[in-house]
Amino acid sequence: METGKNQSLFNGRPIKILLAKPGIDGHDRGILVLAKAFRDAGMEVIYVGLLPTPEEVVDTAVNEDVDVIALSLLNGAHMTVFKKVADLMKARNINDIAVVGGGTIPEADKPKLEKMGISGNYGPGTPISKIVEHITERAAEMRKLKSMEE
Amino acid sequence: MILLKLDELIQGIINGDRRSVSRAISIVENEQVSINAKKIVKEIFANTGRAHIVGITGPPGIGKSTMIGNLSAMLSGTGRKVSVVAIDASSPFSGGSLLGNRIRMQDSLTRHGVFMRSLANRGLKGGLSRSIWDTVKILDASGSDIIIVETVGAGQADLDVVNLAETIVMVLGPGLGDEIQAIKAGIMEIGNLFVINKMDLPGAFIAQKDIEETLAMSPKGVWKPPVVGVNSLTREGYEDLIREIDRHGKFVKKSSDLAFRKFRAELEITIDEELRSRFYEEIRAFLSDNEKIRNLMEKKTDPYSAAENLINSLA
Repeated sequence: METGKNQSLFNGRPIKILLAKPGIDGHDRGILVLAKAFRDAGMEVIYVGLLPTPEEVVDTAVNEDVDVIALSLLNGAHMTVFKKVADLMKARNINDIAVVGGGTIPEADKPKLEKMGISGNYGPGTPISKIVEHITERAAEMRKLKSMEE
Repeated sequence: MILLKLDELIQGIINGDRRSVSRAISIVENEQVSINAKKIVKEIFANTGRAHIVGITGPPGIGKSTMIGNLSAMLSGTGRKVSVVAIDASSPFSGGSLLGNRIRMQDSLTRHGVFMRSLANRGLKGGLSRSIWDTVKILDASGSDIIIVETVGAGQADLDVVNLAETIVMVLGPGLGDEIQAIKAGIMEIGNLFVINKMDLPGAFIAQKDIEETLAMSPKGVWKPPVVGVNSLTREGYEDLIREIDRHGKFVKKSSDLAFRKFRAELEITIDEELRSRFYEEIRAFLSDNEKIRNLMEKKTDPYSAAENLINSLA
């Protein structure tokens, strides 16, 4: 059974990623393109549909035990909503699920998001390979933390 | 997540702690069964056997996920602890998967706090994923009253759910074929309960009649599979469906035959797994040695001889 290219790296379990657009934003073309790209990169992808609340995103991430939460917003609310997700993660003491962001994010906001632990923050036009690479890196960090527990 | 020791994790499962349950499922979900996975299952085994395991199967797009959303909402409403596991297909090319079941039930899950986990089948045929047996045990030990397992959209020969679930709900709908289709061997034989979904669409009543007639021709067993028509948009028919699921649940809990058959089937799978895992590293190493394999191909070695030689050299 040949299951994915990252098998050895990821201890027999492909990278698991949750894609979400928390907030009032229906622009889902980008996130759907990414969902398929991640699948094709050998990841197990969960997309919860439009309009989940930050609480729902974090609950789902915990129940599904994902490695990465990928947030996308194109409505300009990232500084509010991404932060809410980051705050919830901190409040619940979750440090082995990475949060990455994307969408229409002004350069000036990127360092602030990084400070909250939200990395990537890629905008339109970013090559998909670059995004996949970033997610693979973050997932590898998380797996290292998880394997210490096991 | 805070650092967890395995013993704490096991205690967490038994206490019904979601993070422990979730992490434990990840551990048993590894392709190769690890020492930790085995330890978890061994330790919690005494706490299993209480939950009613319901398998929902049927062709792709028939409405299984939507139905589970409705069922879990209504069952939770009566105070029962519901857990859901849904399996989707892995890509045969990349190994990746788009686990899309959750999107159909997200609202019910959130509103009623239902634990739901998506699994990829990782190439396993038969409609399930290999880790599903262990996953169900974890959910059982965590205090679930009812565990709903959704199979991959099933074809005529995806029958493995028969070895996992106590009650098998076969979901069908209008437009799937005539009564000849319904008497074919395979998946139509394993349903304990037949549901015709999409009763609002034309042809649904005819489908229901076809199935009822076919079932009337089957030899009379102790359990006569009922046919329930539902409309998932309005939840019409769902109370009947739940009543029938519960009635079958009571019926099977009395049947030691089913318990024995399930136990034996799982034992068979586990022995296969154990046997394979003994040689896992060696087989992987052999298969990744391209030069050796090319050599075998060029020498026109037949696959039986090659496999025999490998296994003989290991045993």
